[in-house]
Amino acid sequence: MRRFLRQNSLGLVFGVLFLLALVGQAFAGHADYNDQLRSDGLAEVSLGRYLTSASFAVDVAENWQSEYLQFFLFVTLTVWLVQRGSPESKPLDAVGREPDADQHVGEHARADSPAWARARGWRLGVYSNSLGLVMGLIFLLSWLVQSVAGAAAYNEEQLRRLQDPVPWGAYLLEADFWNRTLQNWQSELLAVASMAILSIYLRQRGSPESKPVGSAHDTTGVEG
Amino acid sequence: MTRRLLLAVAACGLAATAGCAHPDERGDAAAAVARQLAEAATAGDGATACALLAPDTRAELESSAGTPCAAAIGAEDLPAPAAVTAVDVYGESARVVTATDTVFLGTFPGGWRVVAAGCTGRGDGRPYDCALQGG
Repeated sequence: MRRFLRQNSLGLVFGVLFLLALVGQAFAGHADYNDQLRSDGLAEVSLGRYLTSASFAVDVAENWQSEYLQFFLFVTLTVWLVQRGSPESKPLDAVGREPDADQHVGEHARADSPAWARARGWRLGVYSNSLGLVMGLIFLLSWLVQSVAGAAAYNEEQLRRLQDPVPWGAYLLEADFWNRTLQNWQSELLAVASMAILSIYLRQRGSPESKPVGSAHDTTGVEG
Repeated sequence: MTRRLLLAVAACGLAATAGCAHPDERGDAAAAVARQLAEAATAGDGATACALLAPDTRAELESSAGTPCAAAIGAEDLPAPAAVTAVDVYGESARVVTATDTVFLGTFPGGWRVVAAGCTGRGDGRPYDCALQGG
């Protein structure tokens, strides 16, 4: 058990931190939602009712979609884009999808390679892109949820202000939808750019996200 | 685990579009309250009409009229009951549109209560102009 925890500590710790943050968001969001209801002269709602509200759903989904977009772009664009000196980049001469021999696929598969890496045709094609595909799919689903829940939350506010609700299609053109979307995208894109650039010059000893402390600034594609 | 949670939130988000709990029933209940208000106001039953108002709406009416709600609501000349043409329910708020009126409601411990009535649209995305509404 202890061995299992140690060998999976990265995923487990982040999973627990995620749940703690989500619980914290639920309580803070509930208090904020009730503040708004009170100021509009309406009755407060229970935590359970808030957790099934569009307001909570859109606040969660708008952050999720941007995170998965970030990883989708990072995973796929780093196939072709490189950054000299960054451990987040592959070597400058390895741009592209790389030869089968380097990727251990098809006839170059090893004994312990996943079955679909040994396969040919669509299975190899899907598996070769599965990380990006799943990240992209979760991004699209999260963005869809954001749009649907966002329309409902927006319309609830519209009704509170004695204004007409708008259909989902019209909401996609509303400033509220794009403000929620772009404010998350900009922060994720800044974080990726910062990581790619700062890791050229700065080090974190022992971290695989950093180059070894003594590596030269122009050493590319080396992780510590 | 993350994907399962995503799907749970996705499902709730989709359901939340209509309030996440029996949207038809909630809409019907809101329409019923709007109709009861119109019927009571038209019949001169001020006590019943006032019991259907949200607290802030009732307080605003009494404050602006300077008389108890039951006496003041008759002077608001609310439209007579008419067929419901549209009902929108989003979270804790609803809008009921009839052939003669647009009514806004909110949820309270006793059920739907009227936040604003006797409303007419002003266009250009501006709030409705209502004969009866909270402060």
